[in-house]
Amino acid sequence: MTNPVETLLVLVLLSVLSALGSSRLPSLIKVLSFQGLVVSIVPLFMGHEMNTGSIIFTLVTFLIRAFAIPLYIYVAIRRVAIRREANPIVGYHASLLLGLVLIVAAIAVSPKFNLPMPQGRPLMLPTAVTLVVAGMFLIMSRRNAIAMVLGYMMMENGIYLVGTGFSLRAQHIVEFGILLDVLAGVMIMAVILQHIKQAFDSLDTARLTTLKE
Amino acid sequence: MIELIIIVPLVAGLVAFFLPLTMARPLLVLIGAVHLLLSTLLWLQRPLALLPDYFAITPEGLLSLIVISLLFFLISIYTTAYLDATRIHSENFFSGALLVFLASMTMVTLSDHLMVMWIAIEATTLASAPLIYTHRSAASFEATWKYVLICSVGIALALLGSLLIALSMDVGGVDAPVAFSALAQEAPRLAPVWLKAGFVFILVGYGTKMGLAPMHTWLPDAHSEAPSPVSALLSGVLLNCAFLGIFKTHKIMHAAGLGDFSGTILIFFGLASIIAAATFIIKQSEYKRLLAYSSIENMGIIALGTGIGGLGAYGAMLCLIHHSLIKSSLFLSAGNVLIGYGERTIAGTGRLVRMMPKTFVAFISGFAGISGFPPFGIFIGELLIIMAALRGGHFVAAAVFILSIAVIFAGFSRHVIQISFGANAGPDRLEEHAAMVWPQYMLLFTSLVLFIWMPGTLNQTIRLAVAAIGGGF
Repeated sequence: MTNPVETLLVLVLLSVLSALGSSRLPSLIKVLSFQGLVVSIVPLFMGHEMNTGSIIFTLVTFLIRAFAIPLYIYVAIRRVAIRREANPIVGYHASLLLGLVLIVAAIAVSPKFNLPMPQGRPLMLPTAVTLVVAGMFLIMSRRNAIAMVLGYMMMENGIYLVGTGFSLRAQHIVEFGILLDVLAGVMIMAVILQHIKQAFDSLDTARLTTLKE
Repeated sequence: MIELIIIVPLVAGLVAFFLPLTMARPLLVLIGAVHLLLSTLLWLQRPLALLPDYFAITPEGLLSLIVISLLFFLISIYTTAYLDATRIHSENFFSGALLVFLASMTMVTLSDHLMVMWIAIEATTLASAPLIYTHRSAASFEATWKYVLICSVGIALALLGSLLIALSMDVGGVDAPVAFSALAQEAPRLAPVWLKAGFVFILVGYGTKMGLAPMHTWLPDAHSEAPSPVSALLSGVLLNCAFLGIFKTHKIMHAAGLGDFSGTILIFFGLASIIAAATFIIKQSEYKRLLAYSSIENMGIIALGTGIGGLGAYGAMLCLIHHSLIKSSLFLSAGNVLIGYGERTIAGTGRLVRMMPKTFVAFISGFAGISGFPPFGIFIGELLIIMAALRGGHFVAAAVFILSIAVIFAGFSRHVIQISFGANAGPDRLEEHAAMVWPQYMLLFTSLVLFIWMPGTLNQTIRLAVAAIGGGF
């Protein structure tokens, strides 16, 4: 039987491509919700010893990453009724192509790092690298502010993979603190966005040029 | 029981959210006083932490903590008068966020665990974001958006860096808590490649928050749009908190014998920040942005001194303390100017010496201090850094540094002369509230006293802090 972790990681990689090609915000949110769902259940299949605490922690992560944050952003964009376009600086096809190149490059480079792969999981590091870089790419290449927040979430997913995949040291209470920070961060971003929408009547960050220098 | 000093402002802040609008003002001053008292006690007693895995008292943490306490206490006095003079939406929320901000910064100074440090620094971002958009103008929302997004991305990179350092423990087969103190002891056994990678990510991450160029772009916007007491806190202590994260990682690097590697990177980013600040200060048209760029310059100087090590590290610590004292006084004075003239641009001000003579005294002394004139401490700090650079053979760095601070002084003084003596058709005398002048005097006076006479315990603590990165005499 194939390893469930590898299958999950392949799904994550596909979700990256899907996110880079999504033109409409609701579908982008759905893709990120799916990605959060998959990433947060990876630890269950890693073969680590799980005690009650870590199972509860994984479940809470799962709920927050897969449902709470996406739902909150979805409600936020409904309320401000903004344009549903991701409004890219780099086009969707070019983004997709870059995403593919990124995945190939990540897979090609990763073995050179010479890491003690956790139980021979060759896709773990490439996936994490892809998520972080693709997240940063989304932030830089989309003008719509919500798409930027989603890019930030993708980056956080990648970092979560690094944390769960490679180091067992970070205690759960600490991971939980990190999760709460991310949650609060996204919420504050959404609140600011609603105010920006009122002030500028747009969430297009190209209009945020008052303070340009 | 050092956690008490984090809990007190946190609880007070949460309470303040629910208080009637103006009730929180005395609470601010009260908590400021209690916090100052507690940190003085911590300084004298150095008790153990209740959760020793996560928190510990370190010399560099103590230095930052006492600066935070003193600044917050004086700024809270200023804030009570400031809130009278300006109109602010939901003032209880403002005070509450200010106290939570204090709690999060206190947590940064006391955290010993890599991840707790990260959580605390991220918490400072989240707590200060609502403070920046206090005025609810379009520009302030834009500044907040930039601040939260850029700093969150930066701090996400710092998280990655922290995880890489944890990874270097796995690879090196080290079994210890992921704490700065424990890692510094075990440093030689950590895997050097991952430690280096971790340091780079942490430097870029926390460097974003500290305002090192080229990641500084959020800083001038946030500092200029925030209400002046908040700008004073952001510049005076928040940047120090981010520096603390870098400094502690640099300590691990030094213990691992990689101090040259991290030092070179610090020197590079330090010089980049000083040059960037020099470029922008010359053509600056708003005085709060001018001060913000000056903060970038000083953070660059501190990074440079830390990177050079030796005498330079001691100088960097002096700069850290005195920059906080002087720059926060300047931002408070800038707040008076903004209230008095109702004008953000330098061109819209003038004749400060006639219209607000008390503010003028604070402003011009602050300017002298920040430019590195005696009798203020930055003078010694910069002098030591230059000496260390020459002694260490960093001739190019020293030359760039000296040239840049000369350019900055020239640009800065032109603007200050316009603000102080330039033409302005305004009234002869503007009102100056005592509580909005004395905090600046106290801050500058502290810097002056520390220039003339440094208490032995302070000197000792600075030496202890920099000894870990090979600094000192």
